[in-house]
Amino acid sequence: MAFLRHSLAALAGLIFIGLAPAGLAEPGLSSSEMQSAVRVESVTIPSPGEFFAAIGKSGQPNWTQLFLPIPPATLASREQMALLLGVLVADGYIAVEAQDSQGVKNTGKDIINLAKKLNVSQSILSRSKSLNDFAENNDWPALREELEATQNEVKISMAEQQDEKLIPLVTIGAWLRGTAVVSEFVQKNYTPESAELLRQPAIVEYLITLLDALPEGTRADARVAEIRGGLETSLKTLNTNPKVALAPEDVQSLASTMNGLVNVIIKGNEGG
Amino acid sequence: MRFVILAIFITCAPLLRAQQSAPNEEVPSVTARSQALELAGAFANDGFKIRDGFWGGAIEAKKPQFLQVNLFAGNAYWFSASVVGIGRKLSLSIATDAGQPVQGDTFQSEQSVAFGFVPQVSGRYFVRLELTTGEKSDFALVYSYK
Repeated sequence: MAFLRHSLAALAGLIFIGLAPAGLAEPGLSSSEMQSAVRVESVTIPSPGEFFAAIGKSGQPNWTQLFLPIPPATLASREQMALLLGVLVADGYIAVEAQDSQGVKNTGKDIINLAKKLNVSQSILSRSKSLNDFAENNDWPALREELEATQNEVKISMAEQQDEKLIPLVTIGAWLRGTAVVSEFVQKNYTPESAELLRQPAIVEYLITLLDALPEGTRADARVAEIRGGLETSLKTLNTNPKVALAPEDVQSLASTMNGLVNVIIKGNEGG
Repeated sequence: MRFVILAIFITCAPLLRAQQSAPNEEVPSVTARSQALELAGAFANDGFKIRDGFWGGAIEAKKPQFLQVNLFAGNAYWFSASVVGIGRKLSLSIATDAGQPVQGDTFQSEQSVAFGFVPQVSGRYFVRLELTTGEKSDFALVYSYK
């Protein structure tokens, strides 16, 4: 908590504020208050960068090895493109963690190409230039923020062209790819602390809710249906023995499910 | 030194805006977001990365609102919220998945509030935001992590 206090102390010395440890005197929340809590996709779902920051404290992932460029595939549907776009955003974060400037540039290019196919590229062309500039200058903190901004810009464009149904798919693609990478790392470098980072059942429940709210035609897409099934499977794993750390076999199961779903997204037309 | 400048800026920014802006010139939610980002910016200088998404809307006095977030143990978080309109004040706290308040640090300034803590457990948390002073207005919340 020392670094939190460091920021605050600097501010507190100069301005008229109330600065105090908080939380002790607050009453607990009632169940109705917790049930009334809203979920906002761009806030309630953590970014891959946030996930990677946490795992980076539990171990030293070899991000260069984890960054595996996705082979080009024949894309079957707009749903697949949206899912893949999310995967690519997560890949961008992995390239940033690997401090792979060229990898970020390539991923940024892939994101723009996919955005073009989805007719949402116009608004993010400037983002593409920013990604390149930040990568050129090895400005990794700025790249993390720019990647999320790019993803949100794509979602705004989707909403503007009445393609809202694709928005959750971008989020889901990014979450699946991020979890696949982290769970694979934890599987190979198991500690109870790192395994606990993976226990996020509320996120999976929310993603399932988002999928269930999609139009029937979108839900009927073979990949979307398969992803929903995989999320249900992973939810069961994440809810196993909730009071203790995820066991190695649970991590293995999660890694297998998540990597399987990422493959569902990236496999070509012939597979879908 | 950067904190000195930031602190002065954060304190004075709402006043400057009030003086420079004509009535109805700004969309309220944009103002709330801008104020929340100003506050979050202070923590960004300390290595915190600001999420691009935000939570916003209208908030009434003594009618707290709740937001579900999902956090990772080991990361440090700052939640920054702001409300539009001089004389209004917010309170902000975080509760665990079981509804128990967590310990952290609060920063309170005119119209803005921030809460910082380091979760001990990964998972779901609840943000509780309440307008404690003033009449109904627009608010915005952003969070940052490192």
